[in-house]
Amino acid sequence: MTAVAGNGVPVSDTVDRRLRIAIGVLCLIGIGVAGYLTYTHYEGIKVLCLSSGGCETVQSSVYSKLAGVPVAVLGLAGYIGILFTLAIRNDLGRIAGFGIALIGFLFSLYLTYREIFTIKAICQWCVSSAVLMTILTILTAIRALRDETAPVAPRRVKTVPRAERRRIERRKQAARR
Amino acid sequence: MASRTKQKEEARARRLAEEQARAERARRQQRTRMIGGVVAVAVVVVIALIALSIGGSKKGGIQTGTKANATVTAVNQLLTGIPQSGNTLGSPTAPVTMTYYGDLKCPVCQAFTLQGGFSQLVSNDVRAGKVKVVYQAFCTATCSGPDPNEFPLQQAAALAAGKQNKFWQFAELFYHEQGDETQAYVTESYLDGLARQVTGLNFAQWKSARSDPNLTAEVTSQQNSGKTIGVSGTPTLIFKGPKGQVAANAAVPTYAQLQSAMKQVS
Repeated sequence: MTAVAGNGVPVSDTVDRRLRIAIGVLCLIGIGVAGYLTYTHYEGIKVLCLSSGGCETVQSSVYSKLAGVPVAVLGLAGYIGILFTLAIRNDLGRIAGFGIALIGFLFSLYLTYREIFTIKAICQWCVSSAVLMTILTILTAIRALRDETAPVAPRRVKTVPRAERRRIERRKQAARR
Repeated sequence: MASRTKQKEEARARRLAEEQARAERARRQQRTRMIGGVVAVAVVVVIALIALSIGGSKKGGIQTGTKANATVTAVNQLLTGIPQSGNTLGSPTAPVTMTYYGDLKCPVCQAFTLQGGFSQLVSNDVRAGKVKVVYQAFCTATCSGPDPNEFPLQQAAALAAGKQNKFWQFAELFYHEQGDETQAYVTESYLDGLARQVTGLNFAQWKSARSDPNLTAEVTSQQNSGKTIGVSGTPTLIFKGPKGQVAANAAVPTYAQLQSAMKQVS
């Protein structure tokens, strides 16, 4: 039995809606971060960085590109991909979103390892993207694992007013006589 | 009669409930299988990406054969006929000086020197005597790498070539044959290999000049001068001219950006 909230909308539906909003917002922030890094890469602009030279060192390292493609571009594609899966309102969409987020999370984990132990420099833009991917993986996993099979209760429908119902009833009784 | 109908209805409801439960179970199982499959695919994709990342790491190293000949020819074409003195490239009377803080192992410096605006600046403005370039050692990629002790070794080797006014040939060849910054590849044989490719360099003299402790002291002094003026990354390019001083504000400045900086100070 699906619990129904005060407004007549099933709780499961409300939770899914909230998850979708949270995922959407995080994706938009991620697009901003990855978009900025992509822009600075192609424009040859120095990245705004709080730590002295950390972002530049990371951005200029061999790990900033994958087969010639900047990892920022891959991140951008990942966030757009997750955002796109929100539009697919079935199990496939939920699981695809989780899959993309999981790939992003695992690869971010590898890049963070490289930052700390190989490059020995930290780029806060990359760290923030890794944090976003981690949260997105958790949220998309919750969404993929949640039971969405429970029938959705009908939303509040417009009912016939009581006075009108009585009038119809009276007419029916008169007709029977 | 009524009870039979009721029994029938109850049995039907039970059947329906069982069917529904079965369908739900099947759907749940299918979804679990799909999630498992997605996790497996994600792990495989990430392993492939990591393999690509490690495999794609620059190999670099001393070139040989026709590739080496082509590199040496390109470097000579760029630099032949341009005056050099120590770590300075260009006419000593040039009105504008571009100080280039760099690290020979830094891949961004490589990108700037080989693909950015540097080659055009040298071909046009340095050759025309409008600007001279002074290279200053500043440790970034090497100090973040596995062996920061490579830094004085590589930079002093370039300064030793500068004793024969071949600093820029050595630096250009280093950038052309730069290895993976995460590897300690700057060995004696690597530096010897580069020196042997510098056209007109007396190898024995270069070898003997490398043992001069003043060169290491000069590298330290250049590093300290960079720190004093707040250099944090490489390449850092500072233009000085009659109208003052300006820094090129880009990681890999294009020729247009270098020209704009030049105009501001000349």
